[in-house]
Amino acid sequence: MGSENEKPTFTRMKTGESTVIASHRMQFMPSAVILILGKKLVLQLKDFFLTMQEFFFFSLKAFMAFPKMIRYWRDVLDQATICGTDSIPIVLVSAISIGALLAIEVGNLLEDFGAKTMLGRSTALSIIRELGPLLMGLMLSARFGSRNGAELGAMQISEQIDALRAFGTDPIAKLVMPRLLAALIMFLPLTALSDFAGLQSAAYMADHYHKIDPGIFWNAVYPRLVAKDFVVGFLKAPVFAIIITLVSCFNGFSARGGTAGVGRSTIKGIVVSSGLVLIANFYVSKIVLENM
Amino acid sequence: MIELRNVSLKYGEKEILKKVSLTVCDNTIKAILGPSGVGKSTILKLMLGLIKPNSGQVLVDDTDITPLKESALYGIRRKMGMVFQGNALFDSLTISQNLGFFLRENMNLPEEEVNRRVTEQIQFAGLEGYEDQLPESLSGGMRRRVAIGRALIFKPHMILFDEPTAGLDPVSSKKILSLISSLRHHNNLGAVIVTHIIDDVFNVADSVAVLYQGEIIFDDVTEKLHESKHQFIQSILSDKILEL
Ligand SMILES: Nc1ncnc2c1ncn2[C@@H]1O[C@H](COP(=O)(O)OP(=O)(O)O)[C@@H](O)[C@H]1O
Ligand SMILES: [Mg+2]
Repeated sequence: MGSENEKPTFTRMKTGESTVIASHRMQFMPSAVILILGKKLVLQLKDFFLTMQEFFFFSLKAFMAFPKMIRYWRDVLDQATICGTDSIPIVLVSAISIGALLAIEVGNLLEDFGAKTMLGRSTALSIIRELGPLLMGLMLSARFGSRNGAELGAMQISEQIDALRAFGTDPIAKLVMPRLLAALIMFLPLTALSDFAGLQSAAYMADHYHKIDPGIFWNAVYPRLVAKDFVVGFLKAPVFAIIITLVSCFNGFSARGGTAGVGRSTIKGIVVSSGLVLIANFYVSKIVLENM
Repeated sequence: MIELRNVSLKYGEKEILKKVSLTVCDNTIKAILGPSGVGKSTILKLMLGLIKPNSGQVLVDDTDITPLKESALYGIRRKMGMVFQGNALFDSLTISQNLGFFLRENMNLPEEEVNRRVTEQIQFAGLEGYEDQLPESLSGGMRRRVAIGRALIFKPHMILFDEPTAGLDPVSSKKILSLISSLRHHNNLGAVIVTHIIDDVFNVADSVAVLYQGEIIFDDVTEKLHESKHQFIQSILSDKILEL
């Protein structure tokens, strides 16, 4: 019955053949393009979610390997030196320059309002809550993240990671867990250092550039700081540690295709982790400041 | 014994292995011959459980390893030693540290026993005097011998070689091949040799499987290779090296 109903429709279409074909031609191009683009999009989305799933399990395994920290304490120490001690210069340089700039610019601004005595407070807040941890995070993402991406990527393409597995060693416990733990431990003191250096350089600039007495500057800093300010700032350290280490290590582990592949995966690790650090910075501030 | 049963594997849309079946017996040397990119390394990784097939089974000593979890696979992998194509030595460790690395990692052996086994491998591979060098300062042939020593140190009963002579000069190749054939006589070891160089096959292998376009087109004792009528095998027999 159904087919009999369809037949007349078909013939009717045939009678208006020329118009059908004309309109069909006009629609053909865009619809084919949309179809191809759509297919591509679906494939990419599928790829994206597969990668996300892999990343999730990778992260889970890294955390589950924490009990093995006793066995790999040497690797943890090595990594703590690399991401902690060795990163001190770059963190100091960036914190000092931003602290100084902030003091000069904000000082100029406050001067217009005749509120120069507030310089200590405003720089302290922006450094401790935002700039100290953020700069530390970005610097470490470049320094520690690139090192992880390149080192693990090179190990991946030279089959060293396969070799670990082939001989019965869990590469995530051996390579990723120590990096994650070291970052979790070291990022806190690095944040403190970044805050301290930034504030000191701001105080120096306030004194020498704006002629604000250090006593007045620090008086506007210490008594006004509350627990919340430190929570916002220091909560970022472990969040950044997790983001930077896991993203860069994951990209290193996924390196494919020779030395160019290592380059690609290293770049991807840095770009993604820096982006995520910026996003996380915003959300940690928002969530803590709204809820405390 | 290692056995592949109807193993198929795809990377994305690309079909690498199509229902491959293959048996490697203990105490024999089996070669897998095929052009570059055909999936030879992939087969070795399947045997170790480093990757899983899309379908089919991989049996190691009659245990199907395809459903096993990573932690369960560690014990099984230790029955096999693997020599990777690029050696995969740890470039920040010295030769003796490379050799002892997995003993220290995965076996609770006393340090004297570890040192004893490391010395044994150093002697076997003829690496005396290079114990404290880094891999990068060694020649290609020596690095290959370190990789073989590292694979032997667990005393496996099967050893897997991925292109053992690729990239080596003829003299080093010969040394490696004689090392491989001495393994069976001295240690009663079975071996799988993956290669694209047909001379390797005739030099050491008891039997050979030829992998071509995802399928096994020949699987028999080495001598019978000449009797094969397959066009691809005929062409490689005349050209000696597969550069496809
Ligand atoms: N992880 C991977 N992802 C996608 N394709 C891969 C991967 N590993 C290998 N391949 C592809 O599988 C094919 C077989 O690879 P391989 O087993 O290394 O070949 P060979 O016989 O040279 O050892 C190659 O075409 C390679 O590009
Ligand atoms: Mg290969």
